[in-house]
Formats: sequence, C-alpha cells, structure tokens
Amino acid sequence: MAITESPTIRSDVAPDVRGPTAPLPAVILTLGIASLVIIAAGIVFSQVNYALSDRVLTRNCIEEEISPEDNGAIGVCNIVEALQDPATSGALYLGIGLGAAALVLGAGTYRRMDSKRRRDDAITGAVLGSQGILLAAFVLWFRSASPGLFAKHFLNFADLEGYWGSFVRAATKTLTLAFAGELGGIVIGLVLGVLALSSRRVVRAPARIYINFFRGTPLIWQLITGYFMLLFGFGIRLSTFVVAILIFALNTGAYAAEVFRAGIQSIERGQMEAARSMGMSYLQAMRYAIVPQAVRRVIPPLMNEFVILIKDTALVSVLGLTLADSDIFSLAREGQSATFNSTFFTVAAIAYLAVTLPLIGLVNAAERRLRSGLVGIAGAGG
Amino acid sequence: MESAQATGINAPGRAGEPLIRLEGIHKWFGNLHVIKGVDLTLQQRDVVVVIGPSGGGKSTLLRCVSLLEEPTLGRVWFEDRDITDIRADLNEVRTHIGMVFQAYNLFPHMTALRNVTLALERVLKLSSDEAHDRAMDQLARVGMGHKAAAFPGQLSGGQQQRVAIARALAMRPKVMLFDEVTSALDPELVGEVLEVMIRLAGEGMTMMVVTHEMGFAREVGTRMLFLDDGRVGEEGEPKDMFRNPKSDRLRQFLDKVL
Repeated sequence: MAITESPTIRSDVAPDVRGPTAPLPAVILTLGIASLVIIAAGIVFSQVNYALSDRVLTRNCIEEEISPEDNGAIGVCNIVEALQDPATSGALYLGIGLGAAALVLGAGTYRRMDSKRRRDDAITGAVLGSQGILLAAFVLWFRSASPGLFAKHFLNFADLEGYWGSFVRAATKTLTLAFAGELGGIVIGLVLGVLALSSRRVVRAPARIYINFFRGTPLIWQLITGYFMLLFGFGIRLSTFVVAILIFALNTGAYAAEVFRAGIQSIERGQMEAARSMGMSYLQAMRYAIVPQAVRRVIPPLMNEFVILIKDTALVSVLGLTLADSDIFSLAREGQSATFNSTFFTVAAIAYLAVTLPLIGLVNAAERRLRSGLVGIAGAGG
Repeated sequence: MESAQATGINAPGRAGEPLIRLEGIHKWFGNLHVIKGVDLTLQQRDVVVVIGPSGGGKSTLLRCVSLLEEPTLGRVWFEDRDITDIRADLNEVRTHIGMVFQAYNLFPHMTALRNVTLALERVLKLSSDEAHDRAMDQLARVGMGHKAAAFPGQLSGGQQQRVAIARALAMRPKVMLFDEVTSALDPELVGEVLEVMIRLAGEGMTMMVVTHEMGFAREVGTRMLFLDDGRVGEEGEPKDMFRNPKSDRLRQFLDKVL
C-alpha cells in the first residue's frame, strides 16, 4: 500500500491520541482487588466455618459416596458442604460480577488514562478482575464435578495420623540422597568438565562418552540397571540407598561436567594467557586463575541442578527402599497403598515444596547477584 | 643490597648482546597467512617498537616471541636456546619474558597485591614474605602501592594496566613485551602508563612494544619496525623513519596516523 501522507510534520497542533481523559482508575483497581479478595475470602471463610463447627455426615455427602465408616469422613464432608454453602456461592458470583466490571472498565479505558500511574492502575485492575473470574469459574467447575470424591482421596488427612514423623524422616532421607548425590556429582563433574576441555581428542573422548551416556539414558534406567549391574556384574552388594546415591552422583556428574565446561569457557581467554605468560603451567593457571572465577559463575546452575536432583530422588521408589530409608515419595506410595488414600501424595508435594521453594529463591538471588556484577567481575573488556 | 635487586630489574646486560632472535617466522590461522616471514633480533637494552596498520600481524608477532602463539614456521631463540623446539621448557622461559596485554588481564578475583604475588609464590617458589615485599616494591614503582588491597574492578583502566606492568616486572624478566597496552585506555589515562614505560626504558630494560603511540615510538624506541601485511615493510631508527620514510606504504601510514 502506498504511503501518501505528506512528509511535513505539523508541530503546531498536537494530535490528541488519547481522546478525552478517562475517569476512575482507582475504582477499576478496587473492583479488581475486591473480586479476588471476595472470592478467596468467601471460600476460606466457609471452609473454616465448617471445619470449626461440629457437623454430621449429610445426606448429600453420602450420595457422594462418603461412607460413615471412612476415616475422616466428617472432615471430608465439611469440605464438600462448605463448597456448596450459600456463602461460598454468593462470594463466587459476586466476585465474577466485580471482576467482569473491572475487566470491562479497565480494558475499555486504560488507553485514555492521562498518566502512567493511572494507566497501570486500570490495567492492574482489569487483570486482577480477569484472574478473579477465572478462579471463580474454576471453583464452580470443580464443585459441580465430584468434589466429594476428590476430597476423600486428596484432602483427607485423617489417615496420615502416625505418619507425620515418618514424613520428616523421609524428608531428611530425600535431602541426604540429593545432597550426597550432588556433592559426588560436583567432584565428578569438575574433573570431567576439565577433561572435556582438553585439546587432545584421546582425553576428550572418554569424557564425552561418559557425559553423553549419562545424559542420554533415563535416570530410572540407570537406577535399576546400576543396581543389578553392581550385583551381578561385579559381585558388589550394596544397600539400595547407597546404590541410589552412587547413581545420582554419576548422573549429576554428567550434567555438572557440562556446567563446569561452560563456566570455564566463559572466562576470557586473556586470563589463561596472562597466567601462562608468567610461567604458570596449564594446571596451575586453571587452579589459581580460571577455576576460581568459573566456580562463581556456575553456582546458580549447580544449585539449579540440585533442585532438579531433589525431585529426581523420587525415582528411588522403583528400587524398593527399606522402610527406614524411605524418601518422601516412597513413603507417600507406601501410605497410599496401605490406606488407598492419595492425600499422602498431597502431603508429599507440600514436603517437596517446603524444601525446593527456599532453594529456588536462593538460586534466583544468586543469579541476580551474579548479574549485578558483584562477583566474578572481569577486569576489563576485550 | 645491589641496585639491580632494589629496582627489581635484572642487571642490564651489555648492550648489543642478542637476547631474542626470530628466524623466518610464518603464522597461518587456518587459511589466513598473518606473518609472512619475519626476522628480528632483540639486543640487550633494545627498545624495539612495532608499528603498522591493524591486521598487519603486529600482535601476533609479539605473541610469537613468548610462544603464546606458536609460529607455523620458523624459529624463536631466547638467549642461546631454540624455544620453538618442542623440548623447550616454555614455563621456565616465560618467567624471563614479561608480557603486558591490551586488556590488562588482571585476575578479577584477586587484589592487586595478590595478582603480583601469585606467580612469585607458585612459579618462582618465593616465600610469601619475599613475594609480598617484592610485590609491594613493584607496585610502589608504578605508583600503585596505595592500591595494593584493591580489586581490579575498583581500579581505573590506567591503574589496572600499571598493576599489570608491576605483575610482569615482579618476575624480574629479561625482556618486556607490550601489546598495545594503551589502546583500551581513555585518553587521559594513557600518560600514566606511558610514563612507567618510558622510565623502564631509561633503566635499560629490553623491550618490544607494539603501539599506536607514535610519540612514544619516536622518543623512546631505539629501533622501529613497520609491519605491513605480515612483512617487515621498513626497519630502522625511529626518528629517521618518521623524518624520511622510504616506502610509500610507510609514508601513507604515517600520513594517516600523525
């Protein structure tokens, strides 16, 4: 299409791109916040209200196949009843209404706000409103399906009595597996990473084969095969727990090797040259000049590997650990198969999150610190 | 204590004694022929200045002297040793050849002092006390004694480069190689680095200097090499070459840079 506008810029008349100034950004923001808050508060209020009151198993619950014999039946029933409570319904529909209002007003007027702050308010309000609508719709959908069945299987904590101590112990086992595996993996990875950087193919090749093998096969395969290989191939009989640590270390070593290799390669070439020009050997240069800098740079990705490993330790459940050695996931599986109550998995997720969330926070903080240049500052550009 | 020890320089040898000899140096990077047959002898107390257009192979030639770059063809002699021989102990040879880089290349995770003492302790095996004293002397010589505890990131470019010079000098090398050491510096910081180099030349240090500082080349250089397209285009007394360049290429080059 041909552009036909005149090339002259009419600076005397500023074109009004905004149109008339829109009103009420604060109202839109308030509507959005209110939508979310009312929905959340309504649900929580009803749940707490029912949980605290002394209720009986309703007919409604029995229809949902919650039997009086079930352990924790009342608690499950309360969850279902609270969801159907008029207070919950009222909060949901009110929330949807407020959210819709925020969305429509915000989306319709944000372009015409006369300051960045007001525009941000309108946009935030509209987004919060749409989030409120989605949340309420999700809850409505959920309670119209089979909340009784769901609550019975995933939110019935009565069967977990007597297991809480086991979960704490299992969490320490999970952390032991992951920590020992990561530590071994870092040692293996550092060596392999340096070997993989060698200019000699005969040195590089074995390292590459190792790395590619462990990165290229499933961890679950490595765990199962590793156990039997040690036993049948080498006559080594170790506890499954120790075998698991060994395999985790070998596996993490492959990933850590790549992390170290990339970290070392990221150090400017001049650092090695400066060290060599003073008569240091290659290994001295690595040890004193390169690796200390690389280590700072690889801390975030290694911590990331650690978080991944914590979750991957769940795979040891295929090895059948002894009860005393059970990690979080093995314990959850045991509890679930003993009681047919999947709430064990719910608790397992909470246990994993309790460990991983702080670590994820640490990783992000370390990355920010690294990006801010407080560590590993290069002397000068190239 | 003898004065050579105090200044940290090896006692300058008799002028005219060959220290470094390059014989028929060629360097290919893949298909790129960067150095096309260069011969050069560095005598004791020489200050050889290498000038020429960028891409002409100046830095590569300099790096061939300490074998940071291995010549594809040709030999490099240090004193009476052929250091291109595969059996040469390059780590030992390099302790006698100080090198300063355009990008300073200080170790960013170490203080200025530690930058200087590291090789003294790990390569020359000095005790930490000896290394410390020698390093402090050298830092003081380049006017950086007061910044011994600073990390490179806390120093200006000129200060970093002076620390880098001190780091190289602390090894008490027999020759110093300077690879465009002022090129990365802000103009107002060039002087402090040149000043150190001028003083060093005055003390009799044998030097090979790749530079774009024509003033330095003319005033300090005892000999000058015009390296153009991998060959020595012209060679001689710096003042002579500036006054009446013989080749067109040098004349054109000088017209552009002066």
